[in-house]
Amino acid sequence: MTFISRKSRDPPPPQLLDPQLLLHPQSFCQNNPVPDFLELFIKQLQSPTLGFLLGGIVVAAFGSQLAIPDSIYRFITFFLLLKIGLSGGIAIRNSNFSEILLPALAAVALGIVIVLISRYTLARLPGIKVTDAVATGGLFGAVSGSTLAAVLPQLDSAKIPYEAWTAALYPFMDIPALVTAIVVASVYISKQTDKASEKVEIWPIIKDSLQSSAVTALLLGVALGVATKPEPVYESFFNPLFRGFLSILMIIMGMEAAQRMSELRKVAQWFAIYAFIAPILHGFLAFGLGLVIHKITGFSIGGAVVLAVIAASSSDISGPPTLRAGIPSANPSAYIGASTAIGTPVAIAICIPLFIGIAEMMLGMQ
Amino acid sequence: MSQQVWKLVIVGEEILSKKLIKLIKEAGATGYTVTAAGGEGSRNIRSTGEPSVSHTLANVKIEVLTGTRELADKITNEIEAKFYADYSIITYISQVEALRDHKF
Repeated sequence: MTFISRKSRDPPPPQLLDPQLLLHPQSFCQNNPVPDFLELFIKQLQSPTLGFLLGGIVVAAFGSQLAIPDSIYRFITFFLLLKIGLSGGIAIRNSNFSEILLPALAAVALGIVIVLISRYTLARLPGIKVTDAVATGGLFGAVSGSTLAAVLPQLDSAKIPYEAWTAALYPFMDIPALVTAIVVASVYISKQTDKASEKVEIWPIIKDSLQSSAVTALLLGVALGVATKPEPVYESFFNPLFRGFLSILMIIMGMEAAQRMSELRKVAQWFAIYAFIAPILHGFLAFGLGLVIHKITGFSIGGAVVLAVIAASSSDISGPPTLRAGIPSANPSAYIGASTAIGTPVAIAICIPLFIGIAEMMLGMQ
Repeated sequence: MSQQVWKLVIVGEEILSKKLIKLIKEAGATGYTVTAAGGEGSRNIRSTGEPSVSHTLANVKIEVLTGTRELADKITNEIEAKFYADYSIITYISQVEALRDHKF
């Protein structure tokens, strides 16, 4: 637990704030948590992760011919999730299993609650089909591997300690969210059509999620981290390449976001509004829950940030096909557009700096 | 060396490919060919070219050769009942000459 206090750090880089602050950042920030937080937030906004994401959005928005092959994208997500899994597995090997229990339960609860929130907010809005809303909720409850990959190095850069096994919370939130969405939608459809409810089989949904490329890579990494001693390859190969591959993935996610924007325009604007608010709201819910667990078991504040970002993220790899198969009547343009075009950029560009900023402030005050 | 057979072509969402192939085999077809496909239809532009993160927007084209029109119709009817309402999918049929002795 080495936390370097703010004062001992290098001077902050120049910021896009009022010149007063630029000239005297220290004096302005002393004993005043709000500008202090703003400064930390803005510093997070200048992280390379975000820059690459915005770069991808800009080139795609200008109709650039740049195309990154699908297989490269798939390899990079595989690599990143395997690396995260490995570090998680190594951490699990060296930690007490009971510490993991409460955060895992919180992840399950969040996955379910996020879908129910969409059922009672988004689905109630005028002109919104309930199945579309629930599918969108399911995707926002599910987890994005790329967002998870983006938050971890930023926590490292900010020198905020966290339990590496928090990455293994991914499936604990992902699977309950997708299952809940498909069950809620099926119950709704059978009520509408007055048909004897076709029983929703839950196991195929869980199997589908577990077999998805993202969860497989993560769990394979965890298993290898727990069962073997992968430290030599981890230190020499996975760790050094992680940030570089992540930055390429951010460009791809940015391009994808810009391309899906056209699809989002075809559906009701409520989806865009939901997609902007939901990640922040879900993040705060999870961060609050993480702080409660922090008080009970000593779960780290950095861990609460990871939990918050997992909750804020919306699935882009494994969720859509599962939902497409599970809720076929829902319009994929609505949920994929909402998640990929707005949800993921908001989670990466706003939620990650926001929660890291809050955590830095809390740790600074302790 | 050649025989008249029916070529049933199915263009649909990639995520359905496993289900479609299962359906085709269970109906009694002896084989099929799958290729990646892209294009535009009433639902949306669906393409294979762009980076598609989720693969929910990718398409496949499945070709099935059947010896009888009945078998082709049986497959089409099942696809219609199961998938036409909710998915981007189309089927069409033509008569072709198979240049190989084979029991279809």
